[in-house]
Amino acid sequence: MLCAESLRVQAHFDGEVDAVAALEIERHIERCAECRALQQQLEQTRVALRRELDYHRVPATLEARVRRALPGPPRWQWAAGRSFWTGALSGAGLATLAAALAVFLWLPMRAAPLVDDLMSSHLRALMSAHPVDVVSSDRHTVKPWFAGRTDVSPAVADFAAQGYTLVGGRAEYLAHQRAAVLVYQHGAHLIDVFAWAADGAWPWRSNERMREGYRLLSWRQGDIEYCAVSDAGPEELQVLAQLIQRIP
Amino acid sequence: MDDKRRRFETQVLPHLDAAYNFARWLARGAGDADDVLQEATLRAYRAFDALRVSDVKAWLLAIVRNCHFTALQQRRRRSQVPLPEEHDPLDGAAMISDTPSPEATTMQLDDARTLNELVQALPADYREVLILREIEELSYREIAAVINAPIGTVMSRLARARACLKGKWLETVEGAPRAVR
Repeated sequence: MLCAESLRVQAHFDGEVDAVAALEIERHIERCAECRALQQQLEQTRVALRRELDYHRVPATLEARVRRALPGPPRWQWAAGRSFWTGALSGAGLATLAAALAVFLWLPMRAAPLVDDLMSSHLRALMSAHPVDVVSSDRHTVKPWFAGRTDVSPAVADFAAQGYTLVGGRAEYLAHQRAAVLVYQHGAHLIDVFAWAADGAWPWRSNERMREGYRLLSWRQGDIEYCAVSDAGPEELQVLAQLIQRIP
Repeated sequence: MDDKRRRFETQVLPHLDAAYNFARWLARGAGDADDVLQEATLRAYRAFDALRVSDVKAWLLAIVRNCHFTALQQRRRRSQVPLPEEHDPLDGAAMISDTPSPEATTMQLDDARTLNELVQALPADYREVLILREIEELSYREIAAVINAPIGTVMSRLARARACLKGKWLETVEGAPRAVR
């Protein structure tokens, strides 16, 4: 690796150069066999490391310990995965409760495919030209539209006065059933509120998590599981969730 | 609801896995990494108020690294017996035997295991930049912030680390008697 350009080739490989420099470097690589070999080696090393290197995730018991040690009252919601149970049980310190905790901690993993489904549905809708199947801010239009198309009939209301405009609804296949999606516009954010029949896979009353920069906030009302997905802030989703929960 | 705690949980704790993984690769062992993560999270919480939330991950990883070095110094001071020098490049080479034992040969058949061991055996300076760049996908600027070094240093160290790992890999795999692949 003696070519004077080797560091620039590396920087290019790491995505650290602008378009002009990138072009220069690519031209150089075409001419320089040494740098071509280097680029190949960088690629191979990266692929091998990303595929094979152990990734040590925080063990649940350690995360619980870390959270317990933090000053201040724990957040009662499920924040970023596991804090609800660890928070609710903080200081309990009983072996039986620890055992119960261990049992519950695997649940988020079980729910993960559902999170994937929610995420991809939301992203697909954002990318498509039609994030809604039925365009209406009138609950008397949207609610009947769900009938026959979805397995649940969620509460529907427009909250334009509070800043959450009902844009319409959509049907999605989710959790092995036909789920209903309410679509709200809040400022620049589009918020999908998924509703499906509770089957016990997601047993938390309130639950918030982040995934790829998007926030998922879920709750249960009666026999219906709700999950709001958006890039809006935590408070903004909380407010909408509370509004929906108050629909008579 | 305590606002600081809430903000800490939403902004910092999502990076707990990254912090722990980094601690594990720095410490070369599980027990030490546990303590480092615990201490780092507390330190992070104390410093959190002053934080401008631009790059929480790099900031947290920098704290993890500082805690790791503090713990390392304390252990060295406590034990009169000197521990292996973390920064000695020969340290890595010493862990890879020239004449592999039968067990070692079997291990070399397993690429994943070999790679993990080679990365473990790299000098700490190399190991950390590799993990930060290839696994945590930090930018040069972020890595510079974590290891408290100029970007130029990050670039040259990363180049050396990659070349070193590649060299060791070829040495190990091709040096194995009757290499299987």
